[in-house]
Amino acid sequence: MYRIRFHGRGGQGMKTASRILGTAFFFEGFEVQDAPRYGAERRGAPIFAYVRADRKTIFERGVINNPGLIIVADDSLVGIPAAGVLHGIGTDTVVLIHSREHAEVWQNRLNLKGVLCILPATEEDGSLRTWRTIGAACSAAAAQLTGVVSWDAVVASLTEELSGLGGNWLAENLARAQWAYDQMSPFSGCVELETKETAALSTSVDWIDLPCEEAQWAAPAIHTGKTSEQAETGLWRTLRPVIDSERCKGCWWLCSTFCPDGAIQVDTAGRPQIDYAHCKGCLVCVAQCPAHAIDVHPEHSTE
Amino acid sequence: MTETRFKSMKDLPARHLLGTGTALCSGCGGLEVLHETYDLLGEKTIFINAAGCMTLLSVYPYTPFEESWLYTSMASAPAGAQGIRDAFDILLAKGRLSPGEDLQTVVLTGDGAAYGMGLSATSGAIERNLDFLYLCYDNEGYGNTGQQTSAATPYGARTATSHGRRGNPGLKKDLFAIWAAHRPPYVATVVGAEPLDLARKIERAQKIRGPRLILALAPCPTGWGYNPEQTVEIGKLAVRTGIWPLKEFIDGKVVHTKIPKQRLPVTDYLQRQGRFAHLFTPKPNEPLLQEIQARVDAYWDELACSNQNTAD
Amino acid sequence: MRAMITGNQAAAWGARLAAIDYLPAFPITPQTEIIETIAQWVENGEFACRMVTLESEHSMITAAGAAAATGVRVFSATSSQGLLYAMEMLYTVAGWRAPFVLANVSRGLASPITLEPDHNDVLAARDCGFLQLHCATCQEVLDAVLIAYRLAEDAQVRLPVIVNLDGFYLSFTREPVQIPAIHQVSKFLPPFDSLGLKFRAGKPLSDAMAVLGGTPYSYFRYQNHLAAMRAVNAFTSSAKAFGDAFGRHYQAIEAYRCDDADVVFLMIGSFATKAKAAVDRLRKAGQSVGLVRPFLLRPFPVDDLRKILDGKRGVAVVDQNLSPGTGGILHKELAAHLYDVPDPRPVLVSFVGGLGGRDISNDEFYAMADVTREASEQGRPPPPRLLFTRQDWREMRKLQAIAHARQSGGAAP
Repeated sequence: MYRIRFHGRGGQGMKTASRILGTAFFFEGFEVQDAPRYGAERRGAPIFAYVRADRKTIFERGVINNPGLIIVADDSLVGIPAAGVLHGIGTDTVVLIHSREHAEVWQNRLNLKGVLCILPATEEDGSLRTWRTIGAACSAAAAQLTGVVSWDAVVASLTEELSGLGGNWLAENLARAQWAYDQMSPFSGCVELETKETAALSTSVDWIDLPCEEAQWAAPAIHTGKTSEQAETGLWRTLRPVIDSERCKGCWWLCSTFCPDGAIQVDTAGRPQIDYAHCKGCLVCVAQCPAHAIDVHPEHSTE
Repeated sequence: MTETRFKSMKDLPARHLLGTGTALCSGCGGLEVLHETYDLLGEKTIFINAAGCMTLLSVYPYTPFEESWLYTSMASAPAGAQGIRDAFDILLAKGRLSPGEDLQTVVLTGDGAAYGMGLSATSGAIERNLDFLYLCYDNEGYGNTGQQTSAATPYGARTATSHGRRGNPGLKKDLFAIWAAHRPPYVATVVGAEPLDLARKIERAQKIRGPRLILALAPCPTGWGYNPEQTVEIGKLAVRTGIWPLKEFIDGKVVHTKIPKQRLPVTDYLQRQGRFAHLFTPKPNEPLLQEIQARVDAYWDELACSNQNTAD
Repeated sequence: MRAMITGNQAAAWGARLAAIDYLPAFPITPQTEIIETIAQWVENGEFACRMVTLESEHSMITAAGAAAATGVRVFSATSSQGLLYAMEMLYTVAGWRAPFVLANVSRGLASPITLEPDHNDVLAARDCGFLQLHCATCQEVLDAVLIAYRLAEDAQVRLPVIVNLDGFYLSFTREPVQIPAIHQVSKFLPPFDSLGLKFRAGKPLSDAMAVLGGTPYSYFRYQNHLAAMRAVNAFTSSAKAFGDAFGRHYQAIEAYRCDDADVVFLMIGSFATKAKAAVDRLRKAGQSVGLVRPFLLRPFPVDDLRKILDGKRGVAVVDQNLSPGTGGILHKELAAHLYDVPDPRPVLVSFVGGLGGRDISNDEFYAMADVTREASEQGRPPPPRLLFTRQDWREMRKLQAIAHARQSGGAAP
C-alpha cells in the first residue's frame, strides 16, 4: 500500500492536494482513501491530509502513522514539533520538501535514512496567489515519486478537482503541476509499494483503569486565566512584521488596537512591541501604520 | 452626546486583556472586536458563548480569558446568561456573595446564533429585561463551518451554499431593527476598524442596565476572500460606502454616530472581496451592482428625509 | 403534616423543602401544576425563590445548568416533548457536572401527540448523563426530590438528577403525603456547596470548552460515567440517611414479595403499583409471584438486580415504552445485565404495555404471570407481546372507519 501524508498550513490546499493525488490514483485503477484532518486549525496553522492507495481493498483507516511518503508544502513546519511532520517516519520513508534550501542542507539538518527530495520553492510572498498552486504542485510531485501515476492521470484529476473553481485557476495549477511532475522525474518510483505485514511487530498495550476523579477537576474546565498564551501561534506566520523604531512615531493606539490577536503590547516607554511568539502574521499592523514604519520580512529569512 | 472619556484614539486602552494564542484565523475581524471590547469591559466579565467560530477561543486546556467563560450551545447562550445573572442576583440578595465577586454577563455569539437559531432565546431574554450585554461578531455567514449562507449574509454574496451567478438571493436580516422593536435600553452597531466609535458605545452600554446589543461587523478574510491584512481596510470601507451604518438605539431613538459625508460607491467595498468577485468578472453585473447601490442609497435617503422631518 | 396532594404538588413540596434558590420554568401538560404551585407560594411570600419563565425548555435547562454552575440550588420541571426539546442541553449540562434536580412528568411522545403517560420521554434521556429516579407514588415523588438533591450534590457524584413521575396517574392524582418539617429536611440536606466549580470575580474559570482529539474527550466522558457509577453507593447512603431521618426506607430496587417468588414482574413508575395489586391477588390464589421495581434506573443497580433475581424462574418485563425496531427498552437492558449470570438464569418475557396511558387490567397481569410461568417451564420465552386486546382492536376499527382509513387488515385476526 502507498501511504502518503501531506503537511502544510491552513489555506495552502493540502486537502485539495490529497484529493488530486487520490483521484489520480483512482484513475490509474487503484483502490484509494483520501482525507483531510480537521482540528481548530485556521489559515496559517499546521494541518495535514493523507492518501492511501493499493491494488487491493484497503482496510486501514484514519491517520497514517507509518508513511511511505511525506510531503511538506511549507518547509517552516519541519522544525515545529506540534506539526508532526516527521511523525512515524521509517527507514524507507521518502520525504519531499517544498523549499528554497537544497537537499544537502536538509539532509544535514534532519539526518534522514531514506530518500530526501526537494521541490524548489520560487519567490514566495505568502500571498493567496502563490498559495493556490502549492497543493497541485505537491500532488503532482507525489504522483511522480510513486512512479505509478501517469501525467495523463494527474491532468484528468486536476481537471476534475479544479475545473469548478472558474477563472484561469485550472490553467495556472496545471502549469505548476507539470513543472513539479517534471522536477521529480529523477526520483520516479522511489516510493515503494509497501507489502510487508506488520501485525507480528505489535507491542503490548498499557491500559489503565481510569480512576474516578473529583468533579471540579474532572469537568472540562480551566481554573486559571490566559493559558492560551502557551500556544505559540507565531508558528502560523510565514511573513513577519518588523517595526522600524526609527520610523515608528509611537502612536501605539493604532497597531496595538487593530491587531486582532492583541499581539502588539505597549511597553513602559509607550512603544508598540510585537509578540512574535503569538503574532500570526496577518499584517493588519503593516497595512494600518500611518508612518509605514512596519516592514515585512519572509519568515525564513529571519531564522 | 454624553460625556466620554474617549476623546481620541490615544484614550483607548493600552493594555490588552484577551490572551494571545487562540486558534482563530489570522486577521479575524471578530477577534479584533472582541479584544477591543474586552479591554473596555474589564476583567470582571463572564462570557457566555454560543457555538460558532469563537467556540474555538477556549479549547481545553487553553483559554484566552483573564476571568470567566461558559460555553453553552448554539441556540441558548442568552439563557445561559439568564441562569448566571439570576444566580448572582440570588447570591447577592441572600448575602452569599460580596458585590466584588460579581461578574457582568456578556453573551458572545456569531451571526448564525444571533440572527437565527438563538433569536428566540435572545428575544426572550430581552423581554425578561435581563441585564446583559450581547456581543455579536457578524461575519455574515456560518463562518466556522466554511461560510455557508446565514440570515446575515448580504444580498449577492457568494457563499459555500450560494454558488450561483447572483450569489445569495436573500436580503440580510435587520437584527438592529429586530432588537430595537423590543424597546431595549441600548442597541448599537460597531466595527473593529472604528475603535473610537466602538469604545464610546461600550462605555455608554456599560452605564446602562438591561439587555444591550453590540452588533459588530466582523470582516472575515477566510470567508469573504481577501488577504488578512485588509481586515481593517474592509471594515472602514463598509462604513464609508454606507453599507454598514454605525448607529445606536438609545432612549427609543436611532442615532447615527458616523455618517459618511461623501459615501464611496459600494463597488469600492465589494471589489475587494472574493465573495463578490462574480459580480465583476468576467464582466460587471451592472443590474445587480446597481441594485445593491440603490438599497444603500435608499437607506441614507430615507434617513436624511426623516432627519429633515424631525428638524421641521 | 400529612396532606392530600397531587404528585405534581408533591414535587413542588420537595423543591420547597429543599429550599431551592432558583426555578427556571416552562409550562407543559401535565407538568404545569408543579411550576404553578411554586409560583403561587412565591407570590404569596410563603417561599423565597426566584422563578423565571424561559421561552423554551432548551433555554430552561441551559439557565438551570448555568445557575447551578454559579452556585445556587436549582429545580426545574418538564415533560415529554419539552424533555426532548431540551435534549441537547441535558447532555451538555451533565457534562458541566452541574448538580440540580429536574422533575419529568412522563407523557408519551409525538407522533401521534398525546397527553397520557408512558416512558419513552424519560428513557430517551437515559444516556445523557443525568441520574434517574422513578417514582411509583406521590409520597415517593416528594421523597425522591429530597434524595435526589443529596445525590446530585454528593461530592463524589456531582451530576444532575431526573425525578420521574407519570402524568395523570401521579401528576393529577391526589394521595395522602407526609410532608416533613423544613428543619428536619435542612438537617438531611445541608446548604449547597458548589465546591470549586462556580463563577466568581477574581477566580478565573473557563467552563465547558471544546476539546480536540479523542483522548480528552474519552477522559471527560468516562469521568461522567464513573461519577454516575459511584451514585449507586451514594444512593444507598443517601437513602439510609433519609430513612433514619424520616422513617421511610428506599431501596435502589424495590423487591415486593419476591423472596420465595418463582415469577416476578419487572416495571418502573406508577403502573408498578398496579402490579403490586395483581401480585397480592395472585398470592391469594396460591401463586408465588412478586414485583421487582427499579427506583434508581441511572445508574442501574446491577448487583442488586442480580441478587433479587437470583433463583427466579421467570421475569415478565413490562415495558411502558417502545424502541421501534427492537421493542421494549428495559427488556433489553435486563437481558444485558443478566447475560453474565451463571445458569439457571430466569427466562425473560417481553411485554409492551401502557403505551400512551393505555390501562393494564388485572386480567392482563394474571395472563402475563401465566405466560411467564409457562415460558419458564419450557425454558424459552414466547415472542414479545403488545398488550392490545380484541376490544382495543374493535375500538380502533371504529375510529378508522370515521377517519375513512382503508382497513387493509380486513377482519380481526
